[in-house]
Amino acid sequence: MGQLTQFAINGLMSGAIYALIAVGIVSVYKATKVVNFAHGYLIMFGAYFYYTFAVIIPGQEWAPSWLASWEPVWLVEMKEGLPMFSPMGAVLDWVQNVPRIIFGIIGALIANAIVGRIIERTLMRPLMGQSIFAMIMVTVGLISIMSGAASIIWTADADFVPHIAPNAPVRFELFGSTIFLFGADLVNMLIALIIFGGIVLMVRYTKSGVAIRATAEDQSTAYSMGISVPKVFSRAWVLASTTGAIAGAILATRNGISPSLGLFGFSVLAIVLMGGLDSYIGVFLAAMAVGVMEAMTQWQLGGDWAEIVPYVAVLAVLLIRPHGLFGSKEVERI
Amino acid sequence: MKLNRRSFLATTAATTAVVGTPMILKAQPSEYVLGASLPLTGPFATAGQLVAPAFQLAAKLFNDEGGIAGTPIRFVTEDSGYVPQNALANYQRALATEGNAMIGYFADSTGAMKLIAPELKGENARIMGSTSFASELANPETHPYQYMSGPSYQSQFDILLENIAAEGGKSVAFIYSNTEFGRDPIEHGKATAERLGIEVVLEEATKPQGADIPTHVTKLAQSGAEYCILQGYVTGVWPQLIGGARQFGLPTKFKGTFWGMEKIIADRITKEAGPFLAGYEGVMPYRYFWDREDAPRYQQYAALSKEMFAGTPLENYMSTWAIQTMCGLEIAMKAFRDTAEAGLELTADNIAEKLTNISDWDTGGFFGGPVTMESNSIRTGRVYEYDTESGLFNPKSDWLTV
Repeated sequence: MGQLTQFAINGLMSGAIYALIAVGIVSVYKATKVVNFAHGYLIMFGAYFYYTFAVIIPGQEWAPSWLASWEPVWLVEMKEGLPMFSPMGAVLDWVQNVPRIIFGIIGALIANAIVGRIIERTLMRPLMGQSIFAMIMVTVGLISIMSGAASIIWTADADFVPHIAPNAPVRFELFGSTIFLFGADLVNMLIALIIFGGIVLMVRYTKSGVAIRATAEDQSTAYSMGISVPKVFSRAWVLASTTGAIAGAILATRNGISPSLGLFGFSVLAIVLMGGLDSYIGVFLAAMAVGVMEAMTQWQLGGDWAEIVPYVAVLAVLLIRPHGLFGSKEVERI
Repeated sequence: MKLNRRSFLATTAATTAVVGTPMILKAQPSEYVLGASLPLTGPFATAGQLVAPAFQLAAKLFNDEGGIAGTPIRFVTEDSGYVPQNALANYQRALATEGNAMIGYFADSTGAMKLIAPELKGENARIMGSTSFASELANPETHPYQYMSGPSYQSQFDILLENIAAEGGKSVAFIYSNTEFGRDPIEHGKATAERLGIEVVLEEATKPQGADIPTHVTKLAQSGAEYCILQGYVTGVWPQLIGGARQFGLPTKFKGTFWGMEKIIADRITKEAGPFLAGYEGVMPYRYFWDREDAPRYQQYAALSKEMFAGTPLENYMSTWAIQTMCGLEIAMKAFRDTAEAGLELTADNIAEKLTNISDWDTGGFFGGPVTMESNSIRTGRVYEYDTESGLFNPKSDWLTV
């Protein structure tokens, strides 16, 4: 039972990250009906921006030394004599990095929001009123542009970034087994859940959320009711970019920085389809379910099956419910 | 003139020489070409971009030495994005463009080697090296024109397992990416472990990128393995696995194969995450670039790098990935030159025969001593240990041949 809990928690932690990635795809789809195939690359940009502001800039000669490593006397004294890889050591290492982590997150949020805004204004808005298919194809083209641009700006060098939260090990006894978790993963999960919950509440209870829902329902009617549809488009892209920046930063802390980060978006597309392209709740449940299924399959059947089993489940769901678990059925007037 | 048997033979030989020489001259191009596909973009672009400058260095070095029997050699490199189909298209394009002048090709993955292998027939056959150490390729009967510039992954596993046995190890875990690259030596490794009396307590496949580290570390902890061999990773997953295990407090000793042995990556991890790679060991077929006292060829590379890559990080350090490529090019050049010196035409068959027969060859320091091609591979390597203080991989064993 203890082991079951261990792997279930591991799965939930992965699922939360999937949900955070998926939320950007759903936001853009809800507002614009465009499936953004380039979302993974938007996340990759977020990761690179976090790297730029948390590693490259603090490492420059002209940058203040406290930005690269904050070392007040009390911190240095506390670190002295601590054994290697001790939990307290991990927390103090993180404290030392706090200025550049904050700088990195703020920088990534702003820079990625600007990128999202530029994409929306220069590539998407001119296509408003055109076929949705054309807009989707633009996002496919965007993949090449963004991966090429990232190679030019940051090169293809692999590198590593500081954890957003202290990565101290967390151990506790449950059902006779020792459960072991990584502190940073727990905080990442918490961040993902808070962001996800915040977006759901925003869509349900704020004016902007109502505008997004109205636009998703019918753009022409929303227009006629005085809703600025272009603004809704713009907000959706900014929302996707900023959540993408956080998802990118978290992915970079787990996997390091490399151009392969862009590929994560594709695996999450299946989860989005399973949950329903226009349903935040559906996508959240699908992400959690896939995360847990992956961890359980890995535990019981091994890695060769772990990538297959959850996606067989996705297929099964789509066969029974083509619009996903909570997706809206499209009704077309003939 | 009286025609007897001697004068008839002499006249026939002279006529053949006069008529035949222009044909031979016509067949020999003004320059030879060696094509290459590199992952300059895509998931392994980090490695591809570090390897690309090696071709510039090789072109300068080989041509300064007189090319192939006086004929210069030119390298044509193209991006594959680490997609085997792109590498195949690049190969076909180079063949169509360069024709008989192209005498060899260098591919960037096992997938590309396997995809191009069926094309290597008759007129289209070319000698072919790559970045791959896939065991399947080390077979002259099935892959007569393809070769490997070091030990196959199976041989690397043998070296590591023998090293574990020598240390008295009794249990080992295999953690590998669920790719062809990762799975390659697993079955063979199990057989070797059994032969050496080492129990394989865990076989764990992971995603090649973005693996679920807590789950894998939990399984490693449950297995109680004394040693863990990591296979099928380049820049990611393996450092996170080791970091996770250290935070978990596991005493497991980690070992890796060639692609997990690059100083640049190990240094970056140490700088960002601390010294958790302390004690990490792995098998390297070649000397590291800083160990060039007994490696005259490395000294030549170093002098050229200073001149050609001044002001860049490549000025002082050649990555292990670039060294592997240079070794592959050196093997090809040796076979080309041996063929030309024997007065044979540079066909794939002639070159392949010379390459297969390379024996007791002094590479100028790549390996611990003279090497011999066996099954189109060089089955030599050495175990190194990473020192987080100095940032160097230090030898942990003698040169081992399996």
